[in-house]
Formats: sequence, structure tokens, C-alpha cells
Amino acid sequence: MSPDKSRSRRVGRSRSLAVDLRGTAHLVGALTKYLSLAMLVPIAVAIGYRETPVPFLVTAVIVGGGGWLLEWSTRGASTLRAREGFLIVSLVWVVAAAVAALPYLLSGEAQLDRPIDAYFEGMAGFTTTGGTVLTDVESLSHSLLIWRQLTQWLGGLGIIVLALAVFPRLRVGGRQLFESELPGPEIESHNTRIRDTARRLWILYVALTAVLIAILWLLGATGADSRMSGFDAVAHALTTIPTGGFSTNARSVEEYAAATQWAIVVFMILGGANFALLYAAFVRRHGRRFLRDEEFRLYLGLLTLGALILGFELASEEVAGGETAVRHAVFQAVSIMTTTGYSSTDFAVWPTLAIMTLIGMMFVGGSAGSTSGSVKVVRHVLLGKILRRELDQTVHPEVLSPVRLNRRVVDERTLRAVSSFILLYIGIFVVGAALIAIDAARVGLDLRVLDAVGVSAAMLGNVGPSFGIAGPLGSIEPFSDVSTAIMIALMWLGRLEVIPIVVLLTRHYWRST
Amino acid sequence: MKIFVIGAGQVGTTIVAALHDDHDVTVIDLDPARLEPLAHRYDVSTLEGNGASRSVLAEAGVASADLLIACTSRDEANIVSAMISKAVSPRTTTIVRTTNPEYLEVWREGQLDVDFIVSSELETAHAISRAIGVPAARQTDVFADGQVHLVEFDVQEDSSPTLLGVPVRGAPIPRESKIAAIIRDDAVILPGGDEVIRSGDRIVVIGSPTAAQDWGELIAPGSGKVTDVVIFGAGRAGTAIARLLLEQGIGVRMIEADRERARIVSEALPRARVFNSTGIEPDFLERERIGDAQVAIFAMRDDMKNHYAATLARVHGVGFTIAIVHDPPAIEVFEHAGIDVTVNPRAVTAEEIVRFAHDPRTQQVSMLENDRFEVLDITTRPGSEYVGKSFRDMPIRGALIGAIVRDGTAIFPRGDDILRAGDRAIIFTESKRVPEVERAL
Repeated sequence: MSPDKSRSRRVGRSRSLAVDLRGTAHLVGALTKYLSLAMLVPIAVAIGYRETPVPFLVTAVIVGGGGWLLEWSTRGASTLRAREGFLIVSLVWVVAAAVAALPYLLSGEAQLDRPIDAYFEGMAGFTTTGGTVLTDVESLSHSLLIWRQLTQWLGGLGIIVLALAVFPRLRVGGRQLFESELPGPEIESHNTRIRDTARRLWILYVALTAVLIAILWLLGATGADSRMSGFDAVAHALTTIPTGGFSTNARSVEEYAAATQWAIVVFMILGGANFALLYAAFVRRHGRRFLRDEEFRLYLGLLTLGALILGFELASEEVAGGETAVRHAVFQAVSIMTTTGYSSTDFAVWPTLAIMTLIGMMFVGGSAGSTSGSVKVVRHVLLGKILRRELDQTVHPEVLSPVRLNRRVVDERTLRAVSSFILLYIGIFVVGAALIAIDAARVGLDLRVLDAVGVSAAMLGNVGPSFGIAGPLGSIEPFSDVSTAIMIALMWLGRLEVIPIVVLLTRHYWRST
Repeated sequence: MKIFVIGAGQVGTTIVAALHDDHDVTVIDLDPARLEPLAHRYDVSTLEGNGASRSVLAEAGVASADLLIACTSRDEANIVSAMISKAVSPRTTTIVRTTNPEYLEVWREGQLDVDFIVSSELETAHAISRAIGVPAARQTDVFADGQVHLVEFDVQEDSSPTLLGVPVRGAPIPRESKIAAIIRDDAVILPGGDEVIRSGDRIVVIGSPTAAQDWGELIAPGSGKVTDVVIFGAGRAGTAIARLLLEQGIGVRMIEADRERARIVSEALPRARVFNSTGIEPDFLERERIGDAQVAIFAMRDDMKNHYAATLARVHGVGFTIAIVHDPPAIEVFEHAGIDVTVNPRAVTAEEIVRFAHDPRTQQVSMLENDRFEVLDITTRPGSEYVGKSFRDMPIRGALIGAIVRDGTAIFPRGDDILRAGDRAIIFTESKRVPEVERAL
């Protein structure tokens, strides 16, 4: 080989990959390994209900061993920076959905025996979407049911956030990881250690869940709700706080008494609120910060507005009246906007204006720093302010008007990120709806355009059920595998707020130049 | 009086000119070229040296000084001079000139051991505010997260006739406010209902922010009519003026050529409209209708730019123009160009210092606070003898409960309101009564 050639090759090498794949794999392995511990819960339930714990035991071995092997085989010095964060977080969620799917496959449950269906169910679990391929959820064993609920609870605040909170010694450096998982734009100044933040968030999360379990259990035990068993109380608390929406009943929360539904409404609202504010209000007793928070005010305002429109629609179209109309309107407004996806009634058969309202609310989402999906209220607040400023500057080109949130100036980078997020989000939603509609036509599935739109919005927003065949009583089982794959991608993109995944598709991400 | 003046610049010179006849004045400056003309014109002793040096001050005999005025152009040097002099001789009254409003703030909070601080920017802003016809509050202190304001006003001849010469009990005092004190000449009066407010009084008012604004209207009727002021230049002076005018509810537009500076100011003053422009482009002036502004203030650093911009603004139709002029001879040029008011920051600073030097007891709330009066923020004990009593029945003398904060919200109590345990009381009181008040609550 001539000296010239070797030099040119060296030049070529310097342009190569700028992402530390080995370090990435190492951390993904470590995080995966810990997921095997989550199997302890369904194993215990299986033993308690005299069901077979084998699927979970096997999963624990595969996941723990596989994770450990990946971690071990890639050990050594790594250089993880912000850049690797995007890849790590994207991969962790792909792997987590697979981990969730394993027990479904291993259990031999007939509804979930195809890998893509099991994987969909896993992704719908961890991303707290709540869509399902199941057509008969009640036939599942207790242990599978609780595992399904548990995946939503684990995914609610984020897998990495959980890992940071429970295993503080885990070497997950960098804010990037934390932030790509935690919903909402980065606005707060970061002066606390992420580990402390993660632990606080989880303490609050666990506490809220425990309180809801107690309330639901009491409702059942006192006879206020004859259908609410201890098992159901735990199962529904596990999917209410993370705004998940999986239920152990075919008819979701419709199964329960009005009192239970109202209790769940309150906790869905809490789940969609900013956890940092909740922490300040409950632990530090700074309740006033809540009321002053622009996002929280709009959040409540939009919930109220949505409920009013729905209530008006239900009453005027004579779908329901009295307390029932109020309850269904409030419940569905809260459930859809916080991206939970529970149903208190089959809202898929509601009049068109009500359905349009619900689709609109799917694009709102809860607050930043909550467990909800979709766009998040704060981004709408900021977008409104950006637009107002643009209009101002059209007339007054020289004027400088910083955008403020809660009286504090929001930096221009964050504002640009908000605008691009919303553009990407809408873009992906449109593409998703189009692909699902085209695919439905291809396989001869009778799908209205409005339903395709609903499915895309509900999957990307991590809501879950939408309308038509994919409504609250339906399932995505009739869709083709191609559509199922599209929905899996939408849930994944939605949960990680699009950008960490889309950035992986750019050339600049992988190259150092 | 034995007076030391540190710094023989324009401020120092003006002060010396005003004080040399009646007092024994010593001037210290690093630059002999500045001292020489002073020594020729006035009968003062001069000393060449660093006024922030302990040995120089000791050599000058600062230990025997009655008053030390540190008025160089360097804030930190001024503060050090005052500190050293205080350490050497605690009875010396010290005055410091500063250009940085932050020092003023620190001093007001009692964290700077200086008797009096004069901020050129703030004095300039007040001079301009007076020129527009909206004399601002001399000073505003805020308590309870801004819910309670303590404001000091100069009552003037053109203050509302419903206020002047009327017993306090019959005056149209805004709701949610009380007169805490009237300062007349050297006396401080805690007014009863029969007291009469006169022109020339300085009054201290305690009340809600809205009430404070209502007071502004009583003190300077018609100030509410000014709604559109344009300030050219968003430097320290321009910002201080804008802040003062905004506090009075006047709409302010600011024009700043430097983009970064404009950005900083737009972030600091949410209520001002900040434009990034040189302010001398006809297109811009036309588009933004600068000519429609009621008042234009020119606060750029360069006299020539101010002059050109002011002339141009007049061409565009601005009716009332005020310019900050840094170089005293330039004042004539501005007047010749038809600029209505000129303000020289050094001159107003010197004036304020001289006023203080003439009568060191010049009343300022902040001084009262350090001296004879204090504002207390006390949380009421459950065992206090006043708990459960209505405010009318409280026999506190020489103290005024201006506001109470209950569950985080300020309440401005009337006679029949009742004090509860756990209420935070904002109290204006004479210093000597502080222990008494604290015991009672």
C-alpha cells in the first residue's frame, strides 16, 4: 500500500461515526437489566392467584441476562455526551416495549400470540397510550393483566427517570437523557441535581398512586362501588396517575359507579399537571405557585371549555342528560385531554361535533413535566405568544418583545424548539393519518377518514382509543400489520416528543462534521 | 463645618463652589491639574492623592471631618473612601455618589455603611419627571411581596386642592392607604385627624400599589394625561428614567441602537416597548409615528447624537423635548436648537449633595428608617393582648399599623377590623418604640 493511500484512508476515517455506539449499548444494556426486576410484581400476583409465573420468570432471565451480557460485552471507557442521549433514550424505549411484549408471547395467550401484536401492546403500555389489540381483555390472567397495567405505571414518568430515582449510582450522566424523556420543553432553569429531581418526582408519583389505590379500595370496601375489587383498585390506580388508560374491563371505567369515575377524574387531572408544581404544592406547601402558573391556568381553562362544549353537545343532541351528561362530558374531556384514554361511556358513538372536539383536545395534552402525552399546554401558550409577537413585528419591525412565561423571559432557542416541535408533530400526525387511511384502503378495511385522523392523533398523542373501530370498546385488531407498525412508530415518536428520534435521521447527528 | 470633598471633577467643583464660603473645605483628587484651578478660585485646601487610600485620608486629617463627600466618577472608590472615613471617625457624615442603582438598593437595605447615597441616574430621572410635570414619589419601599407600598411624596402648590389645607380626616385619602407621617421642616408628625397637609410638606404614605398610584394623582393632578413618552437611548440613565415613568403608569417607548443593550432592557422592563433602531432614520420615525409622542427624552451618551436626534424629533413634530446634556457648555447649543429642557446629570447630582450638606437632616424615609423611624414586619403572637381587638381600640402610640398580611394577602385594616393571631403586621413606628411594639404583639 502506498503512503498516499494510507493517508487518504486516515482522512476518510476521521469523517466517520461521531457517536459512541459501544457506550450507548453499554448503558442500554444496564438499563434493560434492571427492567427484569419489574417481573417481581406479576410473579407475585401469579403466585397469589395460583397462576403460572413461568412466562415472567423466563422473561426476567432473558431480560436480565441479555441486558447484563450487553453491558458486559461493551464495558470499557466510554464517552457519552449529550449526543448519545438521543440514541440511548430512543433505544431504551424500543427495548422496553419488547420486554413488555415477552410475557404476552410466552404466556401463550391467543390474542397476543403474534409478535407484532404483543409488541404493540407492549409499546401501548410503556408509552401510556392505552390502545390495545385485545378484543376480550377480561379473559387475560390476573398476572398478565397486572403486568399490562404495570407497564403503563413504569412508563409514566419515564424509564430512565425511574432508573435515576431508584438506582442513583447508575452512571447516567447528562441532563439530555433526563430531558428527552420528561415531557415538555426545557424552560425551568436547571440548578438542582437531576438525581434529586428524579427522586422527588418518583416519591410524589408513588404517593399519588398509593392515595388513589386507597380511595378506590375504600369505594369498593364500603360498598359505594360494588364492582370495585382490591385488584381493580390497584390496577386502575396504576394506569390513572401515568395517564395511561389500560383497564381490566372491556367497558373500561364505565364498569364502575359514578363516585369512582369522579375520583378518577380528579387523579387524571393531577396526572396531567406539572409534577414540579405538584411537589411544591403538596410537599413545600406553595399552593399559590399553582394558581399563578400560566400553563396550569390554561390547562384548567381548556379542560373546562372542553367539558362545556361536550356537555352542551350531549344535552342538545339528547345523548344524555342531567348528572350523566355532566359526568360523561367532564370525564371524557379530562380523559382525552390528559391523554389517559379511559372511557366512561362509548364516546365513539357521540355526535360529530363532540368527536371533533375530542380530536381537538387530543392535540392539547397535559402540562409539561406531567405524565401526559401530546403537545402539552405550555407549548400552546408559547406558540400563541410567538405568533402574537410575529404579528406585532410585522407592523413594527424594530420592536423587541421578549416572550415571557410566568413573568420570566423564555430564551429564543426554546421558542424555536417549540415551533419546530409543533411543526414536526403536526407533520407526523398528517403522514400517519394518511398512511393508515391508505393502508386500510389497501387491505379493504372499512375506515372513515375521520377515524384514520382519530387513530393517528390518538397514537401520536398517547391517548389510546379513538373513534370507529378503534373506539373505546373496539381494538386495533382489525388493522393490518403495516398499520399496526405505523401505530407503534407513532406511539414511540409521541412519547419521546418526536425530536430525539427525528434527530437520529439527520446526517449531522452521526457525523462529526 | 469641616468638609472633605473627594474628586474635583464637575460634581466636586460644583459642590465646592456652593460650600466654600460657609465651610472649611478640603478637596482631594489624583489629578493636580484639576485641583489647581479650584485652589485659585476658591479659598479651599487641596491635596493631591488617592481619596480611597487610608494614609492619604489620614494625612488630610479626615478624623476631624464633619462631612465627607465622595464624588469621583468611580463608584467603588467613593464607597471605599466613605468606609475608611467611617472607620477612622464614626461621627463623620458620609455622602457617596454612585452611578449604579444597585448600590442605592444595597444601601437602602442597610447593608452599606454610608449615610447618604446620591445616584446620578436617579436624580436625573427625577429631574426629568419633574420637568414633564409628573413629579414622582421620592421613594418607594415595598413589603409583603409588593403588596404593601411605603411611598414618600413632596406635596406641591399644584397638588390637588382637595388635599391642601384640609384636615386629614376630611381629605379624600385613597382607599387602602394611610398617611404614616408628615415631614415638615425638621419635624416629623404622626398625623391625627386634625392635622392639615400643606404645600412643601413631604408625606409618607403606606398602602396598596393602586392606592399609591391614586396618591400620585392627588399629589400631581393631571399626571395621568401623559401616556406616550419616547426615550432615546437605553443606557443606565434612559433605563432609570423609563423605570420611574413606568412606575407612574406612563406608557414608555424606548429606542436603542445597540441590539444587545436593547434586548437586555426589553427583558428588564416588561411594560416598555423597546425598539432596536438608531432613532434617526426617517423611515423608522415615520413608521412608528414618533412625532405623535407627547414627550421625547434624549438620554444617549453622546451630546451630539442627542442634539441631532432631538432636532430631528422636533422636525417630526414632537411637542416637548428633554435632553440630557453631559458637557455644560453644550446646554446653550441645545437651547438654541429649541430643545425645551436640558438636564445635566452632574449638576443635578451636585445640587442634591449640596442640599444635603446644607441640612444633613433633610428627611428621607430611608434615613428615617435607619434613624428615628422604622418599618416593622411582625407576626402577631397568639398571646398578644391585641389579638381579637378591633384596630380602633388599640392604644398603640407613635406607631401605625399600615397593613396586615393574612394568609398571604395584604389587608388594609379599617377601624372595625379585628387583629388575629398569626397576622403579619406592617408597622410604621418611631425607633424608640420598637421594643414596646414588639412586646405588645
